[in-house]
Amino acid sequence: MRRREPRRDRRGICVIGWTACMVLLLFLFLGLTPLHAASDSPDPNTGAGVDVPAVGKQVEEAGPIPAATAGKPSDEYGNVTEDVGGGEELRIADPIEPWNRAMYHVNDKLYFWLLKPTAKGYKYIVPEDFRGLFSNFYRNLRAPIRIVNNFLQGKPGYAGIELAKFLINSTVGVGGLRDCATECFGINGRDADFGQTLGKYGVGFGFYVVWPLLGPSSPRDTIGWIGDWLLRPQSYVSSEWISPEGVGLYVHEKVNDTSFHIGDFEAIKGAAIDPYVAMRDAYVQYRKKLIEQ
Amino acid sequence: MKKWRAGLMLLMLLMVPFPAFAGVPLDTVKSNVNGVLDVLRDPKLQGESGKKVKEQRITAAADKLFDFVELSKRTLGLNWNKFTTDQRKEFVELFKTILKDAYVDKITAYTNEQVNFTKEVPLSEATVEVQSGVVAKGGETPIYYRVIKKDNAWKVYDVVIEGVSLISNYRTQFREILGNNPPEQLLQTLRKKVGKG
Repeated sequence: MRRREPRRDRRGICVIGWTACMVLLLFLFLGLTPLHAASDSPDPNTGAGVDVPAVGKQVEEAGPIPAATAGKPSDEYGNVTEDVGGGEELRIADPIEPWNRAMYHVNDKLYFWLLKPTAKGYKYIVPEDFRGLFSNFYRNLRAPIRIVNNFLQGKPGYAGIELAKFLINSTVGVGGLRDCATECFGINGRDADFGQTLGKYGVGFGFYVVWPLLGPSSPRDTIGWIGDWLLRPQSYVSSEWISPEGVGLYVHEKVNDTSFHIGDFEAIKGAAIDPYVAMRDAYVQYRKKLIEQ
Repeated sequence: MKKWRAGLMLLMLLMVPFPAFAGVPLDTVKSNVNGVLDVLRDPKLQGESGKKVKEQRITAAADKLFDFVELSKRTLGLNWNKFTTDQRKEFVELFKTILKDAYVDKITAYTNEQVNFTKEVPLSEATVEVQSGVVAKGGETPIYYRVIKKDNAWKVYDVVIEGVSLISNYRTQFREILGNNPPEQLLQTLRKKVGKG
């Protein structure tokens, strides 16, 4: 109470004193808020001295406290009374799981026996700076996908930025080998693809599909890929849909990209209890985030 | 008199403790992540000879960074209640070992990359998301650390890489096992994974 005394001074409130007082009260209020929240807790089990790990989650004491936890809060290993995970459940229907699991194994072998050794050899031969240039080159060629989809997602501003980046990088950046728009001018664009656009329009995943070579997808994102494919300039290097040039470019893009990510798949697989389920969940979470942002 | 009063107010302002001052979660995570990276980068600990010391240091640094009990609880969700206290403890230890084994290699790969800590976003009263990005030639990878305040310390209970939450990812896997099996079955699977089964 002593702290509030200056406010009771009747000899007029000077600006500084008043402001300081308000700030003080504000901080007092803010500082005490967590304490109030804790002590106002309706759960009788959450008494004094027991901390509340998270809002919306109360922890009960679980029977006798083992000696091993002495010194720690007594409820550390106690029950949880609510599903405290991290928000909503992310599930995807998986009606063709046997096919998907089989394709997961096919892709796994393709990676370890073919893609990884190729990318490793490539990485050994081609210096990192060159690989970076190729990376920029392919990224620049995907600009039409970003321009069109930013536009379709109601973000004409980003569509314009991506168009500007494409023009700058194709000219000043020597055919897209350098990302001059970002490096010289600090222009940052926004990734966008057609599957994401469909998701933003309210189209759901449908169900989980693993394609050989291409990996995790869904009917929606498969249509998305086809849309994106049609917007890639590389798709038109030949009059045929599948041509040696087109395939060659695609393989190089893939190998070049993989050379930067050797070890990523191994890490996911190594950390997983069921790698198939881990990949499926990662796919769902990743795509969902792209659609929500 | 007025000046004196303002001065007093300022003094009292400084004396007020504010536990949740902005910036603390970010600084805590940053320094603890750097703690792990420092161990990994330590030239004295390279090679076979320093391996054991390195492991111990990493464990110590990881314990400072993570709240493994909170992380385990949130991963299992309500399934946590099906475990006995002893099973809970074993689960936490096994899960901790798996995460360390799996991610130390991954973090080692990042040792030469630049890590930027950008901002913190409050999630709830006691939880905050600290956002960081790892910059490499292939682009920037966003890594978000979700931290909870316990006993006046901020500790990580979830890591979100490229939008993929670690605890959600494991929860999906564990749920499939716990759907038709008792907790012992999951523990057995985990023991096998860490090579103790």
